[in-house]
Amino acid sequence: MYPARIEEYVRPRSVAEALAAITRYEAGDAMFIAGGQSAMQAIKSRMLRPQCIVDLQDVSELIGVRQDGAGVTIGALTRYVDIAADSRLDGAFAALRDAAAHVGDRQVRNRGTIGGSVCWNYVAACMPTVVLGLGGSMNLHAADGTTRSVPADDFFLGPLETARRDDEILLGIAWPAAAPASGSAYRKWGLVQDALPVIGVCVNVTLDSKGHCGAARIALAGLAGGCQRATVGESALIGSTGDADAIDAAFDAIAAAADTHSDMSADADYRRQLIRSIGSDVAATAFARARAR
Amino acid sequence: MKTITVTVNGSVYEESVPERMLLVDFLRDQLALTGTHVGCTYEGVCGACTVHLDGAAVKSCLLLAVQADGHAVTTIEGLAQGTALNPLQQAFATHHGLQCGYCTPGILMNMAEFLERNPAPSDDEIRHGLIGNLCRCTGYVHIVRAVSDAARVMRENAAEVQA
Repeated sequence: MYPARIEEYVRPRSVAEALAAITRYEAGDAMFIAGGQSAMQAIKSRMLRPQCIVDLQDVSELIGVRQDGAGVTIGALTRYVDIAADSRLDGAFAALRDAAAHVGDRQVRNRGTIGGSVCWNYVAACMPTVVLGLGGSMNLHAADGTTRSVPADDFFLGPLETARRDDEILLGIAWPAAAPASGSAYRKWGLVQDALPVIGVCVNVTLDSKGHCGAARIALAGLAGGCQRATVGESALIGSTGDADAIDAAFDAIAAAADTHSDMSADADYRRQLIRSIGSDVAATAFARARAR
Repeated sequence: MKTITVTVNGSVYEESVPERMLLVDFLRDQLALTGTHVGCTYEGVCGACTVHLDGAAVKSCLLLAVQADGHAVTTIEGLAQGTALNPLQQAFATHHGLQCGYCTPGILMNMAEFLERNPAPSDDEIRHGLIGNLCRCTGYVHIVRAVSDAARVMRENAAEVQA
């Protein structure tokens, strides 16, 4: 595979320069590239044929994890390797590290970015699922200077589709400060270690002062419709202490309701079994992390 | 075409390249550094094209040459110090970590950076680090043994320097 012809390559140094570069072309004829670990494959396969590539590698304002009293913001150009190694992302945010540490392989993690993955929104991918499970908000900046914050529930529209417009750039993903006793976890199963998820599960719980689950979010990777919430299981966890019976009941309900499909990687029944077994394990980890806070 | 300036193995090259040229082809075809291999028709799967970009192991088939403009690349040709093999290269010879040798440059470049980040890895950590490199000859037993032994030699060398 060899890339299709590219007419122009530009490397802006700021968000303003990046947006000026992208809007010089008709929508779809110019594209941003972050780490490029998925985009370059799409360009080689002719799935994408951009005339112009706007390489964001020098836009330093997009890089890095910021954490303060107001919450956590992860710049769109933050690489997996740096997310996986950031010990500040614990408790409620630990699922981000669980996922980032097992994307692809270490060469891909050295280059690939969370923002690239979220904007690409591949049908079976870890980071969109975790961002959905943790309820992050996408901070978007448009060429006309306007900004908007789009909650994950409204951002991921289906495989390879997001709410980001062509004239918008993703600045970062933001969360408010986590509630005291909150924890999250993510794990996937693929055909080989660290491969794309055949099924991935993200669980995020907050406990009240008595140790009961007051809020829960669960997201699945590996369904034909892309990353999805599993609200039926969320309501089953609320009020529980995260005991094995409650967790099993939640994931039995999720597996029964999930619209799983059969393909060369796994059949629909096996996907349901993976949801139950990975989900129970991930939920137990998320509750344990919440209790440890 | 675009003119780029890239430092490769310590030498500065100013070259004119098509925008769509992959970094691996730039290294192999334009600079004639053919130690960096293509094992999977540029699909980003096999890891044979792994090089260091500003010190980080990356697959050079997943990057355009123009993306390396202004950066430093190290290829397998830059791993030895003159005629003195890098301890990883020596360990692969000692422990029969290669058979046909096709995947070896990518594995060495990946593991060289891996050992900088983790100088005392367990066998499981080495195996996890090798996920992005496919070898179809030896299996990985000798490769893991070679990386583990190279880590030991590098630790001893570092201790001698400090002493």
